[in-house]
Amino acid sequence: MTRYLLTVCYPDDAVQPPPDELAQITRDVDAIHRELQESGAWIFGGGLHQADTATVVRVRGGDVLTTDGPFAETHEQLGGLSIIEVTDLDAALHWAERLADATTCAIEVRPFHDDR
Amino acid sequence: MAQYMLSVHAYVDGAPPPSDDEMAQIYADVEALNTQMAEAGVELFGGGLLPPDQSTVVREDNGQVVMTDGPFVEAREHLGGFWVIKVDDHDAALEWASKATRACRATIEVRQFEPDSEV
Repeated sequence: MTRYLLTVCYPDDAVQPPPDELAQITRDVDAIHRELQESGAWIFGGGLHQADTATVVRVRGGDVLTTDGPFAETHEQLGGLSIIEVTDLDAALHWAERLADATTCAIEVRPFHDDR
Repeated sequence: MAQYMLSVHAYVDGAPPPSDDEMAQIYADVEALNTQMAEAGVELFGGGLLPPDQSTVVREDNGQVVMTDGPFVEAREHLGGFWVIKVDDHDAALEWASKATRACRATIEVRQFEPDSEV
């Protein structure tokens, strides 16, 4: 069994769908999350606040510095994530397909190290 | 109480990877931090990710599912791993992030989860 991170990726300038569509997307994603939980593959998942609410923390010259705003100055940002534990990559990709379909967004799948 | 993601930006293009000694020190410091978090009861999840070239991106294109190897974002930096913690407020999250940035020798980004996220 391997753990995978599935992240919903969308461009910064993406237009949020209208409320009806968003409500449907939320229902569809919730249904997939329930299936994940029932299958025992679910570990954690959640929607993240907008990237501009992030805070970046780093060490400079021995001191810890804190700055507002996201780390990456890229157009695409994480919208939310799911952590699942499944037998292999194919199984993870199956769930990613379901989420890509429900969210109408790209889903990035990344494996975790085995040691934790 | 709120849930926060502390993400470790460890894979930086063009930057030399840490030496074996540095990696050993990072592992030791991160393990010590994990123990602290467990004792404080704040950690919901923690994990290290394989390098970004091990990613797969899945998307729908005109009704067809397309899968491509490699990360989604063609950025110079990628996630090395992250923690999900549950703490009183943003200041508390920043305190843990300060410990994390020292342990990982990497920049940490702190973002709050929406309230209905669940483990």
